[in-house]
Amino acid sequence: MKVAAPRRVIYRYALLTRASHWIWFVAFFVLVGSGLQIFNASPNLDASDKSDPARRVLAIGSPTDGVGATTLFGHTFVTTGWLGWTGDGMGSRGAHAFGASITIPGYQDLSGGRRWHFFFAWVAVICWLAWLLSSAVKGNLREMLLRPSDVPKLWPMQAYYLKLRKTPPPHGIYNPLQKAAYTLVLFVIAPLVVVTGLALSPGIDAIANPLTVVFGGRQFARLWHFAGMLLLLGFFAIHVFQVLTQKVVNQMRSMITGWYELT
Amino acid sequence: MVRANVKRRIFLASTVSALAGCGPISAALSQNGAVQGALASVEPLDHALIGTRGFAREYGERDVDRNFRVNGFATPSDARYAALVAGGFSSYRLIVDGAVERPGAFTLAQLERLPQRTQITRHDCVEGWSAIGKWSGVPLSAVLDAVAPRDDARYVVFRCMDNDGAGNLYYESLDLHQARHPQTLLALRLNDAPLDPDHGAPVRLRIPLQLGYKSAKWIARIELIGNFANIYAGKGGYWEDRGYEWYAGI
Repeated sequence: MKVAAPRRVIYRYALLTRASHWIWFVAFFVLVGSGLQIFNASPNLDASDKSDPARRVLAIGSPTDGVGATTLFGHTFVTTGWLGWTGDGMGSRGAHAFGASITIPGYQDLSGGRRWHFFFAWVAVICWLAWLLSSAVKGNLREMLLRPSDVPKLWPMQAYYLKLRKTPPPHGIYNPLQKAAYTLVLFVIAPLVVVTGLALSPGIDAIANPLTVVFGGRQFARLWHFAGMLLLLGFFAIHVFQVLTQKVVNQMRSMITGWYELT
Repeated sequence: MVRANVKRRIFLASTVSALAGCGPISAALSQNGAVQGALASVEPLDHALIGTRGFAREYGERDVDRNFRVNGFATPSDARYAALVAGGFSSYRLIVDGAVERPGAFTLAQLERLPQRTQITRHDCVEGWSAIGKWSGVPLSAVLDAVAPRDDARYVVFRCMDNDGAGNLYYESLDLHQARHPQTLLALRLNDAPLDPDHGAPVRLRIPLQLGYKSAKWIARIELIGNFANIYAGKGGYWEDRGYEWYAGI
């Protein structure tokens, strides 16, 4: 007869960490959906200050009714049904870059998209500041940030994940790859997305023009803003994949209640 | 292990159904007045933080778009506007009245005798595109000085000659801080030529600190008022009445 091993649980995530995590989840969801709505009003991205077709990096359009076309770095792809000619949210299709099923609101509405976007931008930024302050004061930030001494351990950690190594390199609460991902997302990409978003505003441009200039101008800032969103989506996809494939119930519980079961 | 797999499937199924429900949920929230009021609550905060303290970048001649993009409503096609165009705008009068000491009706020649300013600035459309034009004309503050606003004047309303095709005339408004900013211009010329009808002739607003919809074209009358609650839907502008922000610096 087997004797059940005693359950060992640890309090893994503090309340503010859990709250920020889920607030960011909601804010990111709304910001992406409303951002795609705003993008649809002018579905081009130029590497320039003013709009300039000669420096167009991405264009999503509908050359004729019923056809969607996406042009990336001068190469055009037919993307009917996915990009350019998509659902309008009212039962038919039309010339919309991103379909109504992934925009907020779920129909063409630039002013509505802007309202959702600007409100949740504040939510995400205030949440980031509160999380940063609390993490810095409590010291968890030190465990999360990538340090120079972690860099030599990045490949051994990746080798362990690829089953090329039997044991992970010694590390603290977070392994070197986790530290790299969190540092990159929380301190590089997310701030980049916020700052490039600010650079799109004529009022802010008038106060802090160098901000717009360093990104190559207003349209270029719009391109960086979009690219940053794609990088955050990439992080999100990998993050969700990892949670779903590694003890999903335990992981989800720990991010909701704080308690994580050690096995 | 088996139990964990079942839990995983339940979790996946509930995630998928939650995402599928987002469309209707977001549509319901987007049409709920209280929700939209809460979302719009950040506009005064943005206005207070940014305000009119900045100064829009001025560009050089080589940055100018020679074919400045035409946008906004269709050029007015009514008989009155056609007659103004036919007469070279010689019969045009810019009415400036309301809460002012000296209401006026300015001819183009009179406007040209007021202090002039030229600025090469970027026009940022709410849709996301930008274009650069060379604008010349009268700083709005010079016109305000000429009519002497009374103490009860808080806002400047621009009444325009263009309409949305359903008969609703375009209008816009600024507060006095925005109106008195040195770069807030009543433009008479674009790229060294008198404004053409498609770009808002004979007088249009240029306010580079805010989005393009604030820069009203085809202005017929400027009115100083205490508040805009009684004008059309009361939000201070054609697009504002239809959900866009009155403070358009973002």
